[in-house]
Amino acid sequence: MMPAIDPRYDARRKRARVAVFITAGAVVASSALGVTRFSGWRWLPWALGITLIIVFCAVSMNSGGSPRGRRGMSGLGGRDLALGGRLDGLAAHRRHGLVMVSRMMPGPAGRRWLAETESVLWEITAVRRGAAVRSYVLSGPRVAAAMWAHACLRRVRPGPRDPG
Amino acid sequence: MGMRLTVQVQLVLQALLHDPAREMYGLELSEETGLQPGTAYPILLRLEREGWVNSRWEDVDPRAEKRPARRYYRLTAGGAVQASAALAGASRPRGSALRRLAEGDGVA
Repeated sequence: MMPAIDPRYDARRKRARVAVFITAGAVVASSALGVTRFSGWRWLPWALGITLIIVFCAVSMNSGGSPRGRRGMSGLGGRDLALGGRLDGLAAHRRHGLVMVSRMMPGPAGRRWLAETESVLWEITAVRRGAAVRSYVLSGPRVAAAMWAHACLRRVRPGPRDPG
Repeated sequence: MGMRLTVQVQLVLQALLHDPAREMYGLELSEETGLQPGTAYPILLRLEREGWVNSRWEDVDPRAEKRPARRYYRLTAGGAVQASAALAGASRPRGSALRRLAEGDGVA
């Protein structure tokens, strides 16, 4: 049984957020590099890339969202953990750190990671909790990279789905 | 692709092999191996992908238990055989020395 997960973890909205950041980054980078100064056809890949990103972003945003509507802006309100985020003694910034790390991962894998993290941190003694959170945050990017690699491989070679 | 038997992987395998039929959850494994939970997680994930270990969510009502469900891990039949063979073939420090090494590098 998968523990209850915050509905804000919607894959489409996650993609949309990522697209917004990429678009903003691309626009800033383009301005900095002076796209208009590209000679010949060198501006074309930039223009195409940015157009694709904006279209993807717009489509994602239009199709995203839960039927219950948007609930909060950032999703970092500290209630992303199941059972209302009742991790006594866990500082808010640490909780936010875990949520942010989970968002680096593909949707279902990130949810599972966060749920499992929460499960362990709930039961661990307060003395060990800080070090445990640090270990999760430090190993998070590596886990995220492995998960994305696995997800990409699965797209290339479709196989049985992960149990989640 | 074969498993790379780092000290941490060996510790996790040893803990699971202690009683291959027993299911263990993250915190239990962490306490048994001396590894930080964040270190044990990617190892378990890799073992699961390799088919050495399978996992499941505990079937409990978190509200009734007043705690979140645990994720339990257990060696598969094939995984137990492979893990035993891999540990037997690995040149490594044993027992307490292994544990000390892992504790010194808990988040690696």
